[in-house]
Amino acid sequence: MSHFSRRNFLLSAGGGAGAIALAAMTSSSGTAAEPAGPLAARPTHFKPRAKRVIWLFMHGGPSHVDLFDPKPALLKYAGQPVPESFGAVMTRRDVARNPLLPSIRPFHPRGESGLEISDFLPHLSRHADDLCVIRSLHGDSVNHPQSVYQMNTGSVLMGKPSVGSWVAYGLGTENQNMPAFVVLPDPGGGIKGGPPAWGSGNLPAVYQGITMRPGAAPILDLQPQPEMSVKQQQSTLRLVQEWNRKHLRQRREDDELAARVAAYELAFRMQSSAPELVDLAQETATTHALYGLNNPATREFGQRCLLARRMIESGVRFVQLYSGNTGGWDAHKNVSQNHGDYCQRTDLPVAALITDLKQRGLWEDTLLIWGGEFGRMPMSEKGTGRDHNPWGYSVWLAGAGIQGGRAYGATDPIGLRAAENKVPVRDFHATILSLLGIDHEQLTFFHNGLDQRLTGPAEAQVIQEIIG
Amino acid sequence: MYCFLSVSHKEAAVIGLAASLLFLWPSPVGWSVEPVGKPSREENSYQEEKLTADDRDHWAFQPLQRPAVPEPKKTDWARNAIDHFVMARLASAKLEPLGEANRRTLIRRLSLDLTGLPPSLAAIQQFQQDPSVDAYDRLVQRLLASPHYAERQAQHWLDLARFAETDGFEHDKVRKHAWKYRDWVIQALNRDLPYDQFVRYQLAADELLPQDTASRTALMFCLAGPDMPDINSQDERRHTLLNEMTGTVSSVFMGLQMECAQCHDHKYDPISQADFYRLRAVFEPAVQVKRYVSVETLLEKNAVTSASHLMIRGDFRRPGPVVEPGFPRIVNGAAQKLPAAKPSARSSQRRVALARWLTQKDHPLTARVMVNRLWQSHFGEGLCRTPSDFGRVGADPSHPQLLDYLATELIRRQWSLKQLHGLIVSSATYRQAGRPADLALQEQLPGQAQERLQRAERLDAENELLARFPRQRLDGEVIRDLMLYVAGTLDTQQGGAGVRPPLSKELVSTLLKNQWEVHPDPRQHHRRSIYVFARRNLRYPIFDLFDRPDANASCPRRNHSTTAPQSLFLLNSRFSLSTARRFAGSGLRATQDKTQFVHWVFLRSLGRPADPQELQRSVEFLIQQQRLTEAEGRPLDRLALPDPVPAQMDPYLAAAYTKLCLAIFNLNEFIYVD
Repeated sequence: MSHFSRRNFLLSAGGGAGAIALAAMTSSSGTAAEPAGPLAARPTHFKPRAKRVIWLFMHGGPSHVDLFDPKPALLKYAGQPVPESFGAVMTRRDVARNPLLPSIRPFHPRGESGLEISDFLPHLSRHADDLCVIRSLHGDSVNHPQSVYQMNTGSVLMGKPSVGSWVAYGLGTENQNMPAFVVLPDPGGGIKGGPPAWGSGNLPAVYQGITMRPGAAPILDLQPQPEMSVKQQQSTLRLVQEWNRKHLRQRREDDELAARVAAYELAFRMQSSAPELVDLAQETATTHALYGLNNPATREFGQRCLLARRMIESGVRFVQLYSGNTGGWDAHKNVSQNHGDYCQRTDLPVAALITDLKQRGLWEDTLLIWGGEFGRMPMSEKGTGRDHNPWGYSVWLAGAGIQGGRAYGATDPIGLRAAENKVPVRDFHATILSLLGIDHEQLTFFHNGLDQRLTGPAEAQVIQEIIG
Repeated sequence: MYCFLSVSHKEAAVIGLAASLLFLWPSPVGWSVEPVGKPSREENSYQEEKLTADDRDHWAFQPLQRPAVPEPKKTDWARNAIDHFVMARLASAKLEPLGEANRRTLIRRLSLDLTGLPPSLAAIQQFQQDPSVDAYDRLVQRLLASPHYAERQAQHWLDLARFAETDGFEHDKVRKHAWKYRDWVIQALNRDLPYDQFVRYQLAADELLPQDTASRTALMFCLAGPDMPDINSQDERRHTLLNEMTGTVSSVFMGLQMECAQCHDHKYDPISQADFYRLRAVFEPAVQVKRYVSVETLLEKNAVTSASHLMIRGDFRRPGPVVEPGFPRIVNGAAQKLPAAKPSARSSQRRVALARWLTQKDHPLTARVMVNRLWQSHFGEGLCRTPSDFGRVGADPSHPQLLDYLATELIRRQWSLKQLHGLIVSSATYRQAGRPADLALQEQLPGQAQERLQRAERLDAENELLARFPRQRLDGEVIRDLMLYVAGTLDTQQGGAGVRPPLSKELVSTLLKNQWEVHPDPRQHHRRSIYVFARRNLRYPIFDLFDRPDANASCPRRNHSTTAPQSLFLLNSRFSLSTARRFAGSGLRATQDKTQFVHWVFLRSLGRPADPQELQRSVEFLIQQQRLTEAEGRPLDRLALPDPVPAQMDPYLAAAYTKLCLAIFNLNEFIYVD
């Protein structure tokens, strides 16, 4: 179904997905029946490079000048203020006149490509030839929530649909027993900006990110309360469905009522499929070791990386994984300590995820994204820390047949602003959609008399050199 | 909201310079923020196009006139003028209405619709046995007079007001006094404050009643949306607030989507960028921001104002030409201007001028937009199905004359919303059955009603013409109230600060620390949904699951999604189970045996007794569950016992009653209204 007719379909169904959920929910992933409805897998606009996405979101703002964007000039100017020629710069915490702080740990050329990555990331460095680092991303706000929203939804204001929701809306999902868009939050605490970061905005609720966790209760209310056994629940559900079907027959098979009957069937299937999906005991000892599950420092993030792999393998369309509690990578005081800690937790698991995707044949059609809501300033804050920098920062893309071992774009000599081949967030989003076979101009949702899209009203460009 | 072109650009009609305004302005001065590019030559001038006859040629911009009430051939069905309009359209489509619903159906529908609560058993019995012809009308009057009326109706307004009690963004700080606005809306609706005053107070209470500081609570409408008090650029913050407010005011009161005109002239509607900033200028003197301090209400101190600007491309760093405060030209046919405030005045008097202009009897939009919202609240869809967009890309009304009739009727009845609700729900159109089985009078030829229905479904699948009553799902807030009501645990205390009931730790962990402090008194956890604390960054789960809007933008009509997490919640959540336990406990206290219990539960939750088959199946279920649970050999503290549990009752049987009650919560019949 084209997006245009899909849009009308949604509208005629009453602006929501309710009335048309039936078919998607009645056909399980194992059946031959062609699923239809809001989460049914749908054709792309053109041939996709990636079928699914894992987005590793480093909340708080990882420092590009300490991880992926080497700046020898910072050594030269160490301790001096930003040269006048760079002009005035807006900062969050009034650090514009503070002395410049060189990269905390040294950079080295890595792999055959010689892509430079710092010593903060020894494990990932071994995969340098797989990464395409965009060094010239830039956003619009020096504040956390605005930037978290912008990276996730394209707008610094709250309430717009997130990238994951747009992709779920555009492509549906291949596993009808699971949500299309899964979010794995950091158990350490909520992010700045909160759940609206994975909200569906004006898109129907069925497309919003569903948070999941490892363990026995991966989804909220998945299992009955302790006072009720699964058997008791099953017998109760049988009664419910019997009466709901009778109610449906008495109302001429009303679509919306039928969708609710189907939703109960899906809920029931999820009760067994979701815990199975998050059951890491099904993985080998080798895999556990690969992701660092045996090491207290890497276990938590490793578990979630492994979960992400299991999910996309089972057909979930879009998985977003947050690293960092409420403070996260927000290294205002001491970059060495903060990034040392977060890199130790995440470096090995991220490298393991790359290795694992490759060995399972998922690498070529999975898009892996790594990045935060912004980068950090080249000047110091409180001596050894750095303030927020949305004016130029790094993210990397990998998998999806993207040529690795290279950097796209550049910041100025001190890493203050994007300077060459600048990539505004909307272009970044347009490029992600393009990798998934979606034309960002055609993925629209009609709301309040207007078509909305992820990339907003301004013109956005797909960056072909990144895809190349 | 973003808006952009998806159809070919409406070619701008070229108008001579004499007929247009040409603005020029200096380059922007040095800002303390990241530099923006210099405006291009093209951007350095703004030319406002004059409205054309073509622009004005749209139904919603036409003057409001009272239409003649049609006299269709068959009028014996009609109960009031509404039905004449509906019948006229049905007749032209060769359709006939289904007929009046039975009383059991009507009282459940009407009670949930007007008050958000089901009828009591006594009320059902009384209504069913009342032989008088005006029994229904007296029921309507009783429900409209109930204090619970506004506790339901206020939610519709709060959706429009993008109401929440926190700022949103990073800190999502609590706005201590926000609940007072919610209570103001409830009180205003309960005492039937005329809609024109309701509008005027929310825009300009301070200017209308300078002595009455309490009435200023109403002004919180304007700033009820999200805000970012700690953002670095307070200019950006104020700009964002003003633009959001301007867009909300125009969409809520006038059904005009002006928001996209903050960046450029509207692509489809005759709304220019200057129109947007003229309307915004009305509010500018009243919005001051202070870093780290949440805004709550509008505030003006004197009549002196600074100049207002059109902002180039909607960018807060790029003030363009000066604009004077003014009303959108397309609905200001008489070119009314705002009067200048006396220098001695304590405010600019701009908002009061806007409020008066909006509530003039001949405003083409205000009354039309509001009666359409009322209609939607009863039928699920408005007569115009884009309730906040009466512009050119909005939907055409299904019954334009009925819409105008109702709009003039609202004004004729001194803007009484209760009277309009009364008029609508008293119509034969509203009193129709949704299916033949619910008809009050079974017809002589049994297949006839079925035939009418099938024909209507075939010719009017969307039910625009209303040949049957549209079945509707209850909102999440009503579902929760209904569950608590049938369990006998609903606390009907009115008003006061928002209450935080317990929340699962998984959800609390997505928030910052101490953002969900559970109310220490457990009875408060069972207050009506409208009093549940509205945190912008986390909607209360059952509301969220059932499509409560996110309070980041005005919501004129909710989505109606059907999802598996809804089922998981109703089936498995702690809230569902503990409420089912109370439901079973109340039922066991009120009845003597299984049969009585089953009938009681059905009556209370579905408004009807169980049929023989359902009774038999229920009793079987109780026995089956009793055996199953007993066989599991669970200890007593691992049983879903009713609350309270009768002394001497077999605990496994007792737990079976709870599960029957839990099943009821999961029935479509429970959360849908016929």
